[in-house]
Amino acid sequence: MSVLAVEGLRAWYRTGTFGVPRDVRAVDGVSLSVEAGEIYGLAGESSSGKTTLIKTIAAATQPPLEVMAGTITFAFPGGPIEMQRADRRALAAIRWRHLSYIMQGSMSVLNPVRRVRHAFVDFAFRHLGQPKPQFLETVRAHLQRLQLGPDVLDAFPHQLSGGMRQRVTIALATVCRPEFIIADEPTTALDVVVQKEVLAMIREIQRELGSSVLFVTHDMAVHANLADRLGIMYGGRLVEEGRTDQLFRTPRHPYTAHLIASLPRLGDTAPKAGLSGTPPNLADPPSGCRFHPRCPRATDLCRREVPPLEPMAAGHRVACFHPEPVA
Amino acid sequence: MGSTFLALLRSNRQFAAGIVLLALVAGFSCLSFFSPWPPNDSFVVPPDLPPSADYWFGTTSRGQDLFWLLSFAIRNTLVFGIVVAVLSRLLALLIGLVAGYSGGVVDRLLMSINDTFIVIPLFPILVLFYFVLKDHMSWGLLALMMACLGWSYDARLIRSVALSLRHREFTETGIFSGMSTRQILVEEHLPYVLPIVFSTTMNNINWSIGLEVTLSVLGFTDINTPTIGVMIYWANQHTALVAGIWWWIFFPVLLVVMTFIGLFLLAVSMNEHIDPRSRLGRSER
Repeated sequence: MSVLAVEGLRAWYRTGTFGVPRDVRAVDGVSLSVEAGEIYGLAGESSSGKTTLIKTIAAATQPPLEVMAGTITFAFPGGPIEMQRADRRALAAIRWRHLSYIMQGSMSVLNPVRRVRHAFVDFAFRHLGQPKPQFLETVRAHLQRLQLGPDVLDAFPHQLSGGMRQRVTIALATVCRPEFIIADEPTTALDVVVQKEVLAMIREIQRELGSSVLFVTHDMAVHANLADRLGIMYGGRLVEEGRTDQLFRTPRHPYTAHLIASLPRLGDTAPKAGLSGTPPNLADPPSGCRFHPRCPRATDLCRREVPPLEPMAAGHRVACFHPEPVA
Repeated sequence: MGSTFLALLRSNRQFAAGIVLLALVAGFSCLSFFSPWPPNDSFVVPPDLPPSADYWFGTTSRGQDLFWLLSFAIRNTLVFGIVVAVLSRLLALLIGLVAGYSGGVVDRLLMSINDTFIVIPLFPILVLFYFVLKDHMSWGLLALMMACLGWSYDARLIRSVALSLRHREFTETGIFSGMSTRQILVEEHLPYVLPIVFSTTMNNINWSIGLEVTLSVLGFTDINTPTIGVMIYWANQHTALVAGIWWWIFFPVLLVVMTFIGLFLLAVSMNEHIDPRSRLGRSER
């Protein structure tokens, strides 16, 4: 049973500076679903629309970002909720309690001039509905689970190490035991050792709470480690989706194939070939398949028509007219 | 807070000097509560006596003991500066934070009002107000007017900080977690801008005292409430310098200069404390 179902989502940045209308199609026709208790990884290069997609999913959109079409439905215990239709009060009721969000650059989620305790009180207190002493007790117990002492509550963010701050941020997002966690590049600024620790922690917390996680990063190695299923975004569209092992073993979309081929392997001495060209300008995207200007397999069909995201194998969907052969 | 204060006192000579000067001035103003005479009584002592053991600062041509009169004057002047600073800081914080956070139309509207206030020439406006109000002009009214004119520079400064805070993750997390705009401004942004405001407060007190003294010396304020400026005004009226009653001018000027230097040193050292980069630059020299 899927916790999150996104159908045909289009979210554009619409600006009209100096009377020149300009639409940046950051998310253009994305459909995906996330099952209960799974970690869904979202990968793609910068400006592929990952952050826009999850902002829209969390209904944290602000002008000029507008949702043009599509539905986002969460199935929470309190009943399904459609994010675009829900009013502010309904959104406020599920946020943090059922749906939490680890922002990009989560190192700065904590206010530098306030003690960590205030972050918990400001962001999470009203969602738990407990009296203050009991709430702080819950927070302390939760920090304990993340191997943080209760004294971090009285520290300022700059007194904590990067890894500790990251763990505090994760504690902040999970203290209300939400069913769904959106994480936007939570490990990007960390070195690999701390990264490994934090990833293990996210997985542990996720198993314990039984929550679903929508995990966004451009780092394929992190995805290989963490994600159960993987969606690859390119130019505002989902180009491939499948189980992580499936995707890494038999990538079918040429872009995915390049992404995975770019990962270094032990003992591999062959030089890595970069993909020529630049990511598409989403204000004026290429016709047809948005990958065709950089694709070695592009044909006239790719230039004319948009390839639909179609199942190739069980649970494996690809949007390509000329998928890579199964090796 | 207390330990920071002690550390600053020990390590920062400017801060220590500023604190000492202001403590002297503030201590002196507190003496006014023990004055044997009310400030506006005249001819309670022999006039025109130079500083002596009996009358430490001498006496005025109006028969007032300069020592006690001065304690009233500096008290009024200090309170005036603080009232103006506090009121204008409230305005500046409110307008700066709201403009920076809201952005868009609200920001443009508030900032155009702000810019209007920045370009208004203050001195002629205050003189004009005096000529309109004449006898209705009082100490409190002047403070209120200066507060209404003195917030604009700071509002711009606070807005520029709030603009950058608006896009920090903790603000967005706050919005996402359902904090109201008021909560975000008061809980998250206010602590961030307070140190900056604290440092500009000193400058604002200096500015308002300076302007008040200027207006008073020229007689464009309520000349029956003793302030430093009003004292100099009366000394001028009695041609104190020509008559050789130099102490009537000297002590008020000395005291107000001490206040200025004290506040200035405090503002400078506060600035340095808030911006560690300038602290680093100093130690390298």
